[in-house]
Amino acid sequence: MRCRDVEAMWDEIRGHCTASVRDAVDGHLRACPHCQDLYEQFEGVAYCLSCLPQPEPSCDLTKKVVEHIALIKDRVRPEPIVLTSVQTPLGTLFVGFKEQRIAYVGIDAGGDIEAVRSQIEHRLRRPVVAGEPPEWLRATLDDFFRTWVVDESSVDLSDLTEFEQAALRATAQIPPGEVRSYSWVADRIGKPRAARAVGRAMARNPVPLLYPCHRVVNAAGDLHNYGYGLEMKARILRMEGHNRGS
Amino acid sequence: MSALAPLLKESMPQVAGPKPVPPTPLKAVAGADSFERVVDEYQRRLYGFALRMTGNREDAEEIVQDAFVRAYRALGKMAPEQRAELRIQPWLYTITLNVTRNRLRGRKPTNVALDALADPDALLRGAQEGPPQPETIVEQNAEVALVEKALLQLPMHLRAAATLRFIEGRSHPEIAEILHQPIGTVKSHVHRAVRVLRRILGPQIGRTVTEGETEHALS
Repeated sequence: MRCRDVEAMWDEIRGHCTASVRDAVDGHLRACPHCQDLYEQFEGVAYCLSCLPQPEPSCDLTKKVVEHIALIKDRVRPEPIVLTSVQTPLGTLFVGFKEQRIAYVGIDAGGDIEAVRSQIEHRLRRPVVAGEPPEWLRATLDDFFRTWVVDESSVDLSDLTEFEQAALRATAQIPPGEVRSYSWVADRIGKPRAARAVGRAMARNPVPLLYPCHRVVNAAGDLHNYGYGLEMKARILRMEGHNRGS
Repeated sequence: MSALAPLLKESMPQVAGPKPVPPTPLKAVAGADSFERVVDEYQRRLYGFALRMTGNREDAEEIVQDAFVRAYRALGKMAPEQRAELRIQPWLYTITLNVTRNRLRGRKPTNVALDALADPDALLRGAQEGPPQPETIVEQNAEVALVEKALLQLPMHLRAAATLRFIEGRSHPEIAEILHQPIGTVKSHVHRAVRVLRRILGPQIGRTVTEGETEHALS
């Protein structure tokens, strides 16, 4: 047996190993003072490590963890989104709301309501329950389709990241019927290099129309993209008074 | 010196590590109340591991908290059959190690306040026969600090292997499971860790085995 092969087995013979392995290693060590020396050092290191005192955590560590978990438990049962549908000048809209604020808007594109429900659950990480449209909701949407300006206090963006919230708020600064580029939005929120991230935030907008991601286009002025198709993007822009381009 | 390896092995206490604890059955762990029992059972062990990995008590406590919270979240998302198959101890070590890695990523190697690590009380508690003399405590404490410092000089992967093997007393297959590495890699990392530590601590280590008594001095 070569020295290198034996060295590889030192750790093995500390635990359970076959008698033949143990004998082979012992035999080599008896005959090889160099390995014997190194083996002693190996055992010495292992022994020193094993003798390190077991450190004690502070006595309230369990309590801290349990309290932390209690906080999460409260968070894992979030308030549900009430999902309803409302007739508007643009056709049927699926609207999700909680605490008298709109958290989700979807244009009825012929899909079933279960798909909308799972989309909301996935996007906002909240349970969804069905409900009737309350009066305040009809009034808010009537106002919106009359002015094409969102009343920001009636929309709940709190489930979104700060970046997404900032990007959407910036779109609300674009006057109805006008368009701006992704990089304009990026500039506006102080992240001039984040035009692509703005694009992603627009694509994930849970409250389209109200926060007008349809007014954001590419640098060349092309409509570029829209969750409900470019036809719909052009149609909404026309409805709110956009005259140029398509 | 004619101390033969077998003699050495007999005279030197075998590395025991923490005593194996029967794993907590996970059937009931989904709820927060039963999870508290898991926290209670494993917090000391994971804290020790995190402390050896970071060399910093505050970091270690935060790592353990974070690891348990992650574990709780992950358990909530698991299917019952997945939970039934889970081996909780290696799994908790893995999570703790991941949190440790994330936390230490990008940090410069720790300059540990070693006084904060070596704990005279722990040494006192560990003494078997009667209270040790003050000078013994100081001596032992210095040795402990030396070993702790050496361990922290290892690169992360070797430190993890050596800590799990010799301080936590885990077997090679268990370490392989924790680190998601083949057993061969684990063995080689353990071995390399010892080699580096041997170099740091000097060749005198392991030399002071005298007749009839085992005394390990690092100086």
